Amino acid sequence: MTSTGTLNQYIQTVERMYRLSEGDELARLISLRDSHVTNRNLRSSDIASLVEGNCVAPIDEIIICHLLCVKAVIEKDYLAAYSHQSQCVVSVVKVLMSQKDQNWCLPLMYTTCLDLRLVAQKAEATQPQSNGKILEKAAESLLSCFRVCCADNRTSDEDTKRHGMLYLANQLLKVYFRINKLHLCKPLIRAIDSSSLWYQFPLAQQITYRYFVGRKAMFDSEYQAANEYLSFAFENCHKKSHKNKRLILTYLVPVKMLLGYMPTKQLLEKYNLLQFWDLVSVVKNGDLRGIDSVMEKHEKFFISAGIYLIVEKLKITAYRNLFRKVFLVENTHQIDIASFQAALQVMGEKDVDSDETQCIVANLIYQGKIKGYISYQHKKVVVSKQTAFPPLSSM
Amino acid sequence: MNSRNLSKDGETCIHGTCLDMCPPEEMNLRIREKLVHILEVTTEGYKLVKCYSRSAADSNMAIPSNLRPFPTLMTTTQYLLLNVSKRKDVKMSVIYNFLDDRLRSVRQDMTIQRLHPKECVKLLEPMIRFYNYYGYRLCEYPLKEYDPVLNKKYLLECIKWFLTCCDTLEETNIECMTDILKDLYLSKDNILSCDRPLVESLYVLCNLSDIHPLYRYLSLPNHLKRSKLKLAYEIAVANKLGNYVRVWRLAEQLCPLTFAALCLYLPTMQKRGLQVISTAYNSKQLKVPTKVIQQWLGFTSEDEVRVMCDYYGQMATDVVCFNKALFRSVAEVPQPKQHYMARISRLELEDIMFYTI
Repeated sequence: MTSTGTLNQYIQTVERMYRLSEGDELARLISLRDSHVTNRNLRSSDIASLVEGNCVAPIDEIIICHLLCVKAVIEKDYLAAYSHQSQCVVSVVKVLMSQKDQNWCLPLMYTTCLDLRLVAQKAEATQPQSNGKILEKAAESLLSCFRVCCADNRTSDEDTKRHGMLYLANQLLKVYFRINKLHLCKPLIRAIDSSSLWYQFPLAQQITYRYFVGRKAMFDSEYQAANEYLSFAFENCHKKSHKNKRLILTYLVPVKMLLGYMPTKQLLEKYNLLQFWDLVSVVKNGDLRGIDSVMEKHEKFFISAGIYLIVEKLKITAYRNLFRKVFLVENTHQIDIASFQAALQVMGEKDVDSDETQCIVANLIYQGKIKGYISYQHKKVVVSKQTAFPPLSSM
Repeated sequence: MNSRNLSKDGETCIHGTCLDMCPPEEMNLRIREKLVHILEVTTEGYKLVKCYSRSAADSNMAIPSNLRPFPTLMTTTQYLLLNVSKRKDVKMSVIYNFLDDRLRSVRQDMTIQRLHPKECVKLLEPMIRFYNYYGYRLCEYPLKEYDPVLNKKYLLECIKWFLTCCDTLEETNIECMTDILKDLYLSKDNILSCDRPLVESLYVLCNLSDIHPLYRYLSLPNHLKRSKLKLAYEIAVANKLGNYVRVWRLAEQLCPLTFAALCLYLPTMQKRGLQVISTAYNSKQLKVPTKVIQQWLGFTSEDEVRVMCDYYGQMATDVVCFNKALFRSVAEVPQPKQHYMARISRLELEDIMFYTI
């Protein structure tokens, strides 16, 4: 009906849904991604005066901003669209604050906030010199909603607006990752992690949240935590969301590799991530030259995914695997430093000397990846008779 | 084209009109009240430079006659760094504290007038060299004369500001960036230079315990990654992997300023190094020569090795007997010391102002 009706019909429908507290229907009618946006009758040049007086407050403000935004989007003026949409969110915040002890309006907030982010992204793309400023402003609007939700802590668990927190946190995380302002994530994460409602948030939102928090942990070199979060996201992600699963794996695979779990070729093939397969074989073989060439070959991919430094760290695993091979070949518990040094040189570290070899071994011993000790006088590594090289996954 | 009108939000900016290093108002007040710093008394009479003052709620900072435009700020910075720094009649820490204050006031004028990034980079780069130079030269001074935490704070503030300007310039106009670089790299006598690879390197080497400068490095355009900056990245990665031998070997290629930055990190690296070694060489009978530890971890002398081993609970004479159980990992990282290999110890501020890496 709404894609063909008159402006008055549209206003009446919105009003009715508002009075009936039909949150989902209301949200659909204020969405930029619904069929009513194609309705030409809603695109008057003088929307404000047509709506005003014709509609109850506070829904009139929302309708005006929304229809102005629709018009701007259709005219591809995304900067104007952004400013109308951000006004729209301001009005929605007012509505939320005025409605005590009820949360049926949350779907409306979700829709307007999601639209705000999408419009801001569009505006950002048309304004290259903005450099993230528009998205940063959008994040401020989202935060104003987030604050309203957080503050609603006296209402019963059923009717509290705190149910909206995770949705907004996810939108904010998306923005912060896009504009590369990861330090802003911290207060959000603290707010969500201390929330008592965790298990009541929809699974889909939990997955999105864990995905971002996992990536954040990875950037901060907290690999165990990253593994936990990303594994949760991967295991619970719907099996038909192939694209999302691939995204999660892009981070989960290198984190797992660092922790000593190598992925199967089958998995990487399924998700078109064979860049990692090249890496698996060189790390397994302790082929340091190979790692360098894989890093060079897939440099763009590794850097854009933000995992280049993790790959750099996989060299430690490669050292361990290489030394283990030497140990197996020599078949003794006292191995000359010179043997390790020769192995490093054969594998591509040409300028490595005895001192540096000892340094690499010392670090592996310190991390518990080799059980044993070094004798400087004899230039030998003495390894434990039992599990000299404990499996990495056991650490 | 008036560059200052380029302010992105379209807001108008204030343009300073004060063409002296110090606004007349402040000059009169300070001479009357006898608030002239000893370094402002020269053989040619008083040479006052505007002080830094905190912006308080009741003070109006935005008075054009009290603000110095870009050319004046540039000559002020040059005067401070090239002339005042040569004074020999006062202690080095007094010179530093004076210059620090006056340079802060330069930055304050830059902020209030919202100078264009093109102008900011020219002013900030010499300040970065300044903070780095004194951060090293004064590192053994007592806290009441020199505060390393504040020095680091201002150093990072300048570096980050500089790098943000570079990013903005790169995004708005690639050509204009190469223009600036062209007239900056050709630094002749007494014209301060502007060396982005140096600042990027310092950003990495002043933050070796942080991983984020490395993410920044990786996102830089290739022409920068192929520059001397690569050395700083390789050192940082070697440090991340705990490879102190390689860090120290690569350090030989550093320029005086970047080497000085690494020296300030040295105590942290030495602590971790000793901890790793005390585990890997843990033994009741076996020993490691003190000389070897000195070479591996960049200690200045065998005596220093003995002092530090003792500090961390290890037995050292001519040889060190490592015991991982006795390692005092709770001991705080000690204050950095001047290093015998640092060329910067023998250089004047002026000497490190002009070179490019």
